[in-house]
Amino acid sequence: MQTNLLSRVTSDKPIHMSEKINHPQLCAWLSAVANTRDKVSFTHLFKFFGPKIQSIARGKFPNEAQANEVVQETMSNVWRKAHLFDKDKGAATTWVYTVMRNVTFDMLRKIKGNKEDNLSDDIWPLAESMVCESESFDDHLENKQLLSVLEQLPEAQQAVVKGFYFMEMSQEQLAVHLNLPLGTIKSRLRLALSKLKVQLGEDND
Amino acid sequence: MIKHHPKFELLQSFVDGDLPASLSAAVAIHADMCAQCQKKIALLTDQIAETSFEENFLDRFIVDDEAVDTIDFDKMIEGITESSDIDISETKVKKSIEFANKTYNLPTVLNNIILGKTAHIGKLSRTRLELQEDEIHTSLLHIEPGGGVPQHTHKGFELTLLLDGSFHDEHGEYVKGDFIMLDGSHTHNPISAEGCLCYTVANDALHFTQGINKLLNPIGAFIY
Repeated sequence: MQTNLLSRVTSDKPIHMSEKINHPQLCAWLSAVANTRDKVSFTHLFKFFGPKIQSIARGKFPNEAQANEVVQETMSNVWRKAHLFDKDKGAATTWVYTVMRNVTFDMLRKIKGNKEDNLSDDIWPLAESMVCESESFDDHLENKQLLSVLEQLPEAQQAVVKGFYFMEMSQEQLAVHLNLPLGTIKSRLRLALSKLKVQLGEDND
Repeated sequence: MIKHHPKFELLQSFVDGDLPASLSAAVAIHADMCAQCQKKIALLTDQIAETSFEENFLDRFIVDDEAVDTIDFDKMIEGITESSDIDISETKVKKSIEFANKTYNLPTVLNNIILGKTAHIGKLSRTRLELQEDEIHTSLLHIEPGGGVPQHTHKGFELTLLLDGSFHDEHGEYVKGDFIMLDGSHTHNPISAEGCLCYTVANDALHFTQGINKLLNPIGAFIY
């Protein structure tokens, strides 16, 4: 079901390509970087894209250092991810643009909200994604709900419940760990569970 | 069949990278389900890339631009190519989420967004996506079969993207993939007969408009 925005494009070579850009040349350089880690080709790419990226970034970022960081980040991604470029799926300019736009997007998000979640490659993938493995959003209903209820318990009882159920310690281990008599552990656990039962409803046992 | 699409301006801003993460993700999810928009986005991306990297005629006359001097390109190139490491792209994991004992696969676009707690009111469940975009709130909204949201309007905008199932309102039937952008000029009362899971983005609380429903305005805040 998941497809890549870049990849669907191409069979019908879409727009008129500008005469001003030597596309086959850019494509050859990018392929050489991907296939043979060719530094000379990378230098050519850098000389072509670097200054343009810098001037675009200067329009989006308040200071020079950040604009330079966009150049640095974008071009290192080009170096390290060139193998993801598929010349049958689109132009080199489109691919480098995607890399630059993604770097810019993540940096702006970081500056605005101090968020370092780097979402751009999920939103605009640089290549067709590989096989998917399955994973559930870790039991979001039960655990989270349980945790929020747990937080309402007195601290002493919380520690016992968390140790017993989340860290799977035995009551004896907990007694040692918390430096309490075994009887206290047992009664705290019993007390906590009866409160949880009220909070969560009887059928959650 | 998908009938509701992001409008052109939204696609353009998406391609430019100017939309907030919440809306960018929505357009990407929609495009993954909609070949038509996917194609438009690809075209727009080719075009913007082309114009971004075109040799600007005027560039040749700018002889000394101080800014360009502040960066030592040769040194940067050297630094970058020093390491021959490549980024191995990680395989994407397919994540799922459960609502009312039903498991839904989530779009991989959402893989790295933190999910908050799930809250319930009647047949509605809402899980917040922690995108931290100030007044813009993003959620997964689940409606159990037969559930709905009372007649309401929006003070800001409300985007609903149907991830699974269907619902209908006064204006018609909506299916998986539909991208429904509403603003203050719209009033509606969505009902889901078979249940549905939506990705929603809103920048203000919903506002219930009809008689007794006004008492439900706390639900508006709940959904927002």
